[in-house]
Amino acid sequence: MLAFLKHQFKTFTLLELLKGMVITGKYFLKKKITVRYPEEKTPISPRFRGHHALRRYEGGEERCIACKLCEAVCPANAITIEFEQRDDGSRRTTQYDIDMFKCIYCGFCEESCPTDAIVETRVFEYEFHERGPSIMTKDKLLDFGDKHESQIAEDRAVDAKYR
Amino acid sequence: MIKIEINGQMVKAHEGDMLIDVADDAHIAIPRFCYHKKLSIAANCRMCLVEVEGAPKALPACATPVTDGMKVQTKSVKAVAAQKSVMEFLLINHPLDCPICDQGGECELQDVAMQYGDDVSRFSEAKRVVADKNIGALIHTDMTRCIHCTRCVRFGQEIGGIMELGATGRSEWMEIGTYIEQSVISEMSGNMIDLCPVGALTSKPYRYSARPWELKSHHGISPHDSIGSNIIIHAKGNDVKRVVPADKESINEVWLSDRDRFAYEGINSEDRLTAPMIKENGKWRQVDWETALQFSADKLKHYAATPEMMGVLASPTATLEELYLLQKIARGLGVNNLDTRLRQQDFSLDSHGFVKPELKHSFAEVEKLDATLLVGSYLRHELPMLNHRLRKAQLAGKIVSSINTEKFEINYEINNEVVADDLLAELQLVVDALEKPESNNIDKVYKKIASSLSTAGKSSIMLGQISLMDVNFTKILKLTSDIARLSGAVLNVLPISANDVGAYMVNFLPEKGKNIQQMLTTQMKAFVNLSLEAESDITDGKLAIEAMRKAEFVLNFSLFDSEIQREYADVLLPIASFAETAGTFVNAMGTKQSFKMAVEPQGDSKAAWKVFRVLGNMLDLEGFDYTHSNQVFAEVLENNIETKNELVLEKIDIKIDKKKSIKNKTPLISIYEVDSITRRATALKTASKAVSETIIVTAPVQEVG
Repeated sequence: MLAFLKHQFKTFTLLELLKGMVITGKYFLKKKITVRYPEEKTPISPRFRGHHALRRYEGGEERCIACKLCEAVCPANAITIEFEQRDDGSRRTTQYDIDMFKCIYCGFCEESCPTDAIVETRVFEYEFHERGPSIMTKDKLLDFGDKHESQIAEDRAVDAKYR
Repeated sequence: MIKIEINGQMVKAHEGDMLIDVADDAHIAIPRFCYHKKLSIAANCRMCLVEVEGAPKALPACATPVTDGMKVQTKSVKAVAAQKSVMEFLLINHPLDCPICDQGGECELQDVAMQYGDDVSRFSEAKRVVADKNIGALIHTDMTRCIHCTRCVRFGQEIGGIMELGATGRSEWMEIGTYIEQSVISEMSGNMIDLCPVGALTSKPYRYSARPWELKSHHGISPHDSIGSNIIIHAKGNDVKRVVPADKESINEVWLSDRDRFAYEGINSEDRLTAPMIKENGKWRQVDWETALQFSADKLKHYAATPEMMGVLASPTATLEELYLLQKIARGLGVNNLDTRLRQQDFSLDSHGFVKPELKHSFAEVEKLDATLLVGSYLRHELPMLNHRLRKAQLAGKIVSSINTEKFEINYEINNEVVADDLLAELQLVVDALEKPESNNIDKVYKKIASSLSTAGKSSIMLGQISLMDVNFTKILKLTSDIARLSGAVLNVLPISANDVGAYMVNFLPEKGKNIQQMLTTQMKAFVNLSLEAESDITDGKLAIEAMRKAEFVLNFSLFDSEIQREYADVLLPIASFAETAGTFVNAMGTKQSFKMAVEPQGDSKAAWKVFRVLGNMLDLEGFDYTHSNQVFAEVLENNIETKNELVLEKIDIKIDKKKSIKNKTPLISIYEVDSITRRATALKTASKAVSETIIVTAPVQEVG
């Protein structure tokens, strides 16, 4: 009997509807968290795993020593490296390709790299429409690294104490 | 037999065995760096420390003989603590350059450090740096990586026979190097690369060309001498990147001669012939296989009308299958002019039969020979691994004598050494010494040789390449067989090339036809050559080239392209190298060793046995429907044609004129110029230059003495 009366009371006073409207009203007046991408962007962690880049030392020498650890560790077999001995006796890559279609952005390449040469940057806004350009060659990766070096260096510095 | 307990497991052992050997046999892993089963015990790395019940401190397993009832712990707290401490010491001065080290991925130190190393170093002082040494074209050094296990030093002393590397200084200042600046020239030096547990000694030709985990291993047989060393061909994709020894105790133990190890560079040479070529109206044209084979078949049919005017020559480095099929084609066409004895100059016994090239002892038995006489042989360069076995015999107190045309650098003491231009006169003196041991006119050394051979339990006479190439080979053979008969020694005519025995086996011999000398001196109309470089593989290269030039048609099955070939040949057919074909080599002691293809043939070249199969069918010959090289091998074994023509020396009367024979010294074949592949191995070429330079340096010293 009591339950029946409670139900009738709720039904005729529209109490639950009003409760709902109160919540709606609260959010209506609250500060909005929606980001208007692409005009606005969310903050990104320094550990973000986006587009790859090959880095250079300050003097301009490429960091990669063609140790092939990234190629070996890559779970998607996305990296292809060929190397040879350069005239000065050091080992350098002649080919460093990452197939961005194969890549699963796990970050193992970055983790395995003994010289911090291959890194994943904050950049994630890129797309490919066909298969050819999806392969990032050594030149493209180095150029990308040069372009974003300040950001990359900053991110590594922030993360250094946890590594 | 005694019983010991390792980690609670009962293990049987012989009294006096070293603990590490016993553990190895029982598959109980003990880490080690300085210990190697083929080298003496140094016990200087201390990595194999184990806990032995009753001993106050951990003991090195490599230098602790087992005793009955011994209880050993290799994984106890005490043992592991000792091993970890040693590891920490070893890593103090070892650079962290694994990513740029060629050894990285196959490094013993790396492997052991994964188990016993700490992830953080407590050493904050400055690390030691040692200057790298340039020790030649074959071995690259990174001496900072050295952990002073002294395996390389012991190898030089005990196996190589020349102490080329040694340690100077002590503790922190200890360095491994050549005492005076010079190249390592041992013919087995490449083994130091395998022995080095770290990346201090690495292969120079292989340097920075692959990482170990990218390589695929393929079992193979080395084609550069008649030892038939078992090798592992390491290939990345379709490129042969390096060759390392496979363990085969009965043949090459764990070693490999430098020639077998570094000659692979030749197969990647730019000289490789990669497409069939035919010459029409004096101009070379690249054609497809069908055209080339049809052209060759037509020509061969044409010249087969006069089969006695056609010669078939093959390099004894070809496989058994290739030689068998080529002789089958030739005999099918009625051609009996077949030969592989490219270096021989004296064929006067051919009418009686053919000398069987053969080592009548197994390689292990050579170590046990009580007395050995080398006749005309620079064994160290001809068959480095056999020389190594003989060296072991000599060091064990057996007697090795030699009669040679030159004084060669041998890496052990030759007990009785005779150096003379005229081998015949010297051999005659040994015969005299055996016949008349009381005579006073004979020099002591001949008597010593004679008595060593006749009094020893097992004795052997080995005829090397210099005898084989001598213009008086028949007479040398006669005299040595007399010595053998009088002394009871075994006479061996050493096969030098990979398949000398195989060629004999498949009867690639001028049974009813002309031998190579007759072929080259009489006007032949056509020649078929199998992987042969006439100018350097045949002793009288000039004569050979002249004969080929005069011939109307020359068909070359060749690995390499060369100017001189293009001049005399009419068809060049590219064939596969030892790494690119399946086949069989029969080694000096008659062991038949088959191997499979490791990599695809380069360019458009094809395995020669396949080419012969097609050619046989094109020539409408019977029995060329093989689908696998095994079938060819099975057919060879079935036919068993080997014994038909064996020479029985005793039945033949060979006259030896007592007058001094005319001296006609044949030039020595350089160790790294034995076949077309080794001639194109660049690192070996540089290394052999270093060898000859060293000889020039020592020459004045001899003059003074």
